[in-house]
Amino acid sequence: MSTLEIAAPAHAQVLAAHDFHSGATPIWCPGCGDYGVLSALEHALAAHGRPPHEVVLVSGIGCSSRLPAYTSCYGFHGVHGRALPFAAGVKLARPDLEVIAVGGDGDGFSIGGNHFIHACRRNLDMLYLVMDNRVYGMTKGQPSPTTEPDWDSDIAPGGLGLRPFEPVALALAAGATFIARGFAGRSHELSDLILAGIKWPGFAFVQVLSPCMAFRSEQFGWKDSVRATSHAIEDDRAAAHAAAIADDGYSLGVLFRDHRASIPARPAAKASLTQIETQFMVCR
Amino acid sequence: MSAGELLLRAAADAGYYGMMSKLFGAQVRGGEAAALVQISTEPVSCQPDRFDLFVALDWDKVDQFASEIPLDENTIIIADPQSGPTPPSIAKSKARTIPVSMSPGHATPLECALQGKHTNVFAAGAVGALVGLPVSGLQAALVTVLGGKSVEATRTNAAALEAGIAAAAGLDLDMHLSPAHPAPRWLMTGNQAIAVGSLRGGVRFVGCYPITPATDLVEWLAPQIQKLGGRLVMAEDELSSINMVLGASYGGVPAMTVTSGPGLSLMVETIGLAIAAEVPAVIIDVMRGGPSTGIPSKTEQSDINIAVYGCHGDAPHVVLAPTSVRDCMFTGEWAVYLAESLQTPVIVLSDQALGLAYAVIDPKLDRPQPLARRTDLSVGPFKRYAVGTDPVTAMPRPGTPGGQWVGEGLTHNETGIPVGGASVHLAQIDKRARKIAQFDPGPHWGSVWGEGETAILTFGSSIGPAQEAARRLAAAGQPSRVIGLRVLMHSTAPAASW
Repeated sequence: MSTLEIAAPAHAQVLAAHDFHSGATPIWCPGCGDYGVLSALEHALAAHGRPPHEVVLVSGIGCSSRLPAYTSCYGFHGVHGRALPFAAGVKLARPDLEVIAVGGDGDGFSIGGNHFIHACRRNLDMLYLVMDNRVYGMTKGQPSPTTEPDWDSDIAPGGLGLRPFEPVALALAAGATFIARGFAGRSHELSDLILAGIKWPGFAFVQVLSPCMAFRSEQFGWKDSVRATSHAIEDDRAAAHAAAIADDGYSLGVLFRDHRASIPARPAAKASLTQIETQFMVCR
Repeated sequence: MSAGELLLRAAADAGYYGMMSKLFGAQVRGGEAAALVQISTEPVSCQPDRFDLFVALDWDKVDQFASEIPLDENTIIIADPQSGPTPPSIAKSKARTIPVSMSPGHATPLECALQGKHTNVFAAGAVGALVGLPVSGLQAALVTVLGGKSVEATRTNAAALEAGIAAAAGLDLDMHLSPAHPAPRWLMTGNQAIAVGSLRGGVRFVGCYPITPATDLVEWLAPQIQKLGGRLVMAEDELSSINMVLGASYGGVPAMTVTSGPGLSLMVETIGLAIAAEVPAVIIDVMRGGPSTGIPSKTEQSDINIAVYGCHGDAPHVVLAPTSVRDCMFTGEWAVYLAESLQTPVIVLSDQALGLAYAVIDPKLDRPQPLARRTDLSVGPFKRYAVGTDPVTAMPRPGTPGGQWVGEGLTHNETGIPVGGASVHLAQIDKRARKIAQFDPGPHWGSVWGEGETAILTFGSSIGPAQEAARRLAAAGQPSRVIGLRVLMHSTAPAASW
């Protein structure tokens, strides 16, 4: 498979955020937090220095999953909930590429919840960026796994009554090695978190609080709730669990890092198929 | 199973053709089982409708297999008298039972449990000697089947084999085989043959999830693909495995998944995605009995409906079926070439009977013409889903400067941007339909055997029995032909010019 790898080693280039812009007009509503995430991602990729053709953005279904087409990178907009396995396939087959999966809270934590657990566990060198607005926006306002229990909606009048899902705690339980939280309204800080996640040599999970102005306009108030975390917890998963459970979900920054190695590189070929086929010979 | 393999391997090494099929109980992780072994001077492609010899290692739970093991009054049954009388389900065949003690008389039950009775190896030795297989061949086959067990285990098994051979001499039976025609041959299962075909076709990524009767295919493949520099990944479920396959394929590496009915059902949504986004993928479906969890240990050809029509919407793709154990290699390789060159999922419908059949085959190379993926960048602005004269459009590999494209499962325009509107929708449906419709399978569509006014149209593991039926019809003065399809689905009528 060596012929498939990028010919020259990737050297950091001088790139600007607009080099990562496709020019396609987002379908997002005015005021959507995802604009801030797109901008932060483009700035992070420019700072990282790998050109757009060496980056693959993978997504599932939902408002935020439309993001790949708004960049000038390679991309794939697949089916609902399956961005992570698709991204894993790209990375396993082509470790030379920069692989980033993006999506929303419904895509990643509900229909794709099982893949989220196993992606944390598998620890492939990729970034997973979840734009969490605690609502299904594309289908016009249903509660997601991160929605508050009393949030009133047409499909669940008076609220679902279910305890919301805590993505950071789950990522910790599943063995994630890099966990961060950002806010779409603080694009510069978010860009730094994304860059740190891209550079992390394993699975980097970045939860982004990304307000939905159409169905959760009260999330405009998030700007007053968010604050920087005091420090990143290194390697001590139990301490990180305790912190995650005590947290109100608005601490921003790198929350946890575990310096566990990613899976070993694919071994080089050491036999020919003809050699392998000799095992079937009988009556020689 | 080890005894069956030992016999088949010894017969193959002596120059015979043969085939072994496996009967399992309802549970798939061991327990009662029966090995159905045929040895012949000609290639074997189906199970027989009678057996000459039936060896009962014990009678435990034999009733559940009785209806699947055809015996008659000319069959010889060899059974250990310690196991008790021949059960009615077997005795009703009127076959003659010959008592042979297969376990050492002096061993206590505890010793038997600790050291193993090796009655299976004893029986293989007895049968091998009865049919006239050379002792050296039986010994060599035992070593292969044991596959590097401990010195002590090898010694006790070898002793059991010799005891079996010696016991055969004391039986007043002549079951010698006709002389063989030795030539270099291969001994492999249908599952292994498909795996070999896929590797020949260039598959270097496999995403999979264990499921009977497909598991042993990926278990054989896992170390082999690694030797070739590829990778096999066990995913968290079938939804993940098929999406991993699409990801690897998008990355430029020919990729495959392997499953059975319940797994195929889970994969159908993503197969539709592969069709819409035009991403090559090979899906091997080793069919078993359904619906639902059904009967994993038995064969059925009942996935054909979801393989052909499972996707929602107009979803042209390719469905193939191997025509024999040997053809699993050809069809497996061809599936990769078709997926790559047509940028579409190709489903290969094997089944339990083909996949687990262990067969002696002619190893003469029979390979399809290689076909590759279009990755060239044309001059001018690149449009991944361009609607032009050639419906197969280039799909540059990530890493290619200027070739950036976003694979899209939503209705999209020529550059891949999601758009609404009937005209764009129809244009892309037409593109994908033309891509498949213009594919000409040529002589590989299938095969015809025999001549006659009557034709038996069939596919997959049913071809072997159909050939045997045609042979008997011809012998009875009713010449018939068998039409075995390799291409089960490739064409939909292209939309008219919109």
